[in-house]
Amino acid sequence: MFNSILVSGVLLLAATVAEANTIEMKVNGLVCAFCARGIEKTFHKNPAVADVVVSLEDKLVAVQMMEGTDISDQELRATLTDAGYDIKAIERTETPVTAIRERLKGSAK
Amino acid sequence: MKRLIDALAAAALLPSFLAPGFAAAKPIAFAHGTTVMGEYGAGTMEELQVFYAPRYFYSVGGGHLALDSDIDGRSRDITYARFNYLVKRWNREGSQANVFAWGGAGNANVSESSDDQFTWNAGFQLDYETRRLYASLKSDLYESSAFSHRIDTLQLGIAPYEHEYDGVATWLVVQGRRYTGEIFDGTETAILLRVFKGAVWVEAGATMDGKLQAMFMINF
Repeated sequence: MFNSILVSGVLLLAATVAEANTIEMKVNGLVCAFCARGIEKTFHKNPAVADVVVSLEDKLVAVQMMEGTDISDQELRATLTDAGYDIKAIERTETPVTAIRERLKGSAK
Repeated sequence: MKRLIDALAAAALLPSFLAPGFAAAKPIAFAHGTTVMGEYGAGTMEELQVFYAPRYFYSVGGGHLALDSDIDGRSRDITYARFNYLVKRWNREGSQANVFAWGGAGNANVSESSDDQFTWNAGFQLDYETRRLYASLKSDLYESSAFSHRIDTLQLGIAPYEHEYDGVATWLVVQGRRYTGEIFDGTETAILLRVFKGAVWVEAGATMDGKLQAMFMINF
């Protein structure tokens, strides 16, 4: 009994560790790469942010958070406003930013 | 024709010359962002500007503008402090449009009398862009007791392809510029190639009479 609980606990922990903590944002006004540098710059200042990807084609900004961290929707909207843009939609996913980057490369071909 | 070829050759060399140190020509980049802009305007004007934006809707800084009359050789050297303000921004799914306004004051050296004059400055910019089209209208007024000069600049751009965030953006831009106050007679028209990648923006080309027109901007 104890062993099965322990195994379940270890599996649950492993699954949690494997899941990425990513915030995907659909952003309006994202048309110029030069002007959008502020997005990356601002998010990289946040120690809870592990990775950032921006796509003009998909009007997407995706931010991968450090494990166990999050940014509130209000703070996300303020960050994008400071960078010059408006958030249209926010979605929290388990897709790592590296996988989103690969998906974006695939859709660009 | 030779002047045009010389100017185009100089324009082609300019990006490689500028890139190591420097490159929407917008007076406000993003919150906590610094913008450095420089322009060589066909021998008629040269300008260098530096702005810092504490918030996304305003920036402060200064610049130096040199005007050299194409008509009678008079010149102005204007050094100014300036406040830029984002009046309105429209973010749409595939476009962005902005209205900026600014005002400032400084010192101008006037060639006719060789003395210094207090000068004030005001202007605005309207711009609209998608990933393939770009348009902007800018008007900049400089006033002192010795002169009044307004510089109106219209730019229309088209991108041959849609650039991506980490790629190189290329634009072909037609620029029309008019000066008041005996600086240039008529409209100064230029064809420009604009290239930007990362935080560096460079554009260069030539006016219809073969003079170099170039600009750089960096945001950091």
